[in-house]
Amino acid sequence: MGETDRDNPGWYNYARFDDYVAAGVDAADEAAFWVSPRAGQRAPDFTLPRLSDGTGVRLSDLWRSRPLVMEFGSFT
Amino acid sequence: MFIYAREAHPGENVPSHDSFERKLACAALLREEAGIGRDILVDDLNGAAHRAYGLMPNMTWVIGRGGRVAYKANWTSAMNVEAFLERLLAARGGHPAGTTRVMYETQQIEFRYPDRKRFTEHLLRNGPRAVAEFEKAEQLWAERAAT
Repeated sequence: MGETDRDNPGWYNYARFDDYVAAGVDAADEAAFWVSPRAGQRAPDFTLPRLSDGTGVRLSDLWRSRPLVMEFGSFT
Repeated sequence: MFIYAREAHPGENVPSHDSFERKLACAALLREEAGIGRDILVDDLNGAAHRAYGLMPNMTWVIGRGGRVAYKANWTSAMNVEAFLERLLAARGGHPAGTTRVMYETQQIEFRYPDRKRFTEHLLRNGPRAVAEFEKAEQLWAERAAT
């Protein structure tokens, strides 16, 4: 599975969890966590829409003056 | 801050996202059903932020004032985050005279005790096939562990 596949939204938004595990992508994704920025390193900055009003929120605006807690999640 | 990522266990009722509009609709449904009071930010369809931070389904990061990673955990524990925040804020309160603050980092194993009944209810909310696919995945993990 090359980087081209990984850049495809269909790859990221897998349709079946068992297929995702059977292909070993769960292990690759866990490995991605450990190569993500370490404690002390600069955090990646993104501007994401706020669900309540659609306004773009820049993460660096949130962590400028106080610590920012970010929990990633979904229904499950 | 809650960042809505991809559906980890898509099913008949809550499928994988095939458009940003669907992703927004799923995020709104989650806010209603889970009663999330925090602000929710929605990642893009391709998971740009989720990828940059490491692709785990329910992880927590704390970014210190100024933008450096202060804490990362590949699974969320509210208790751990709260305890860490207390220490982080206390550390900003100053240090003993004649000392210099020096940072170091810790990596440690944590344990969690999933509530299987509640998790299965969540899977069922996404759809019956999400339950079947998780059971299949458990078999695959067992086979992986045996080799």
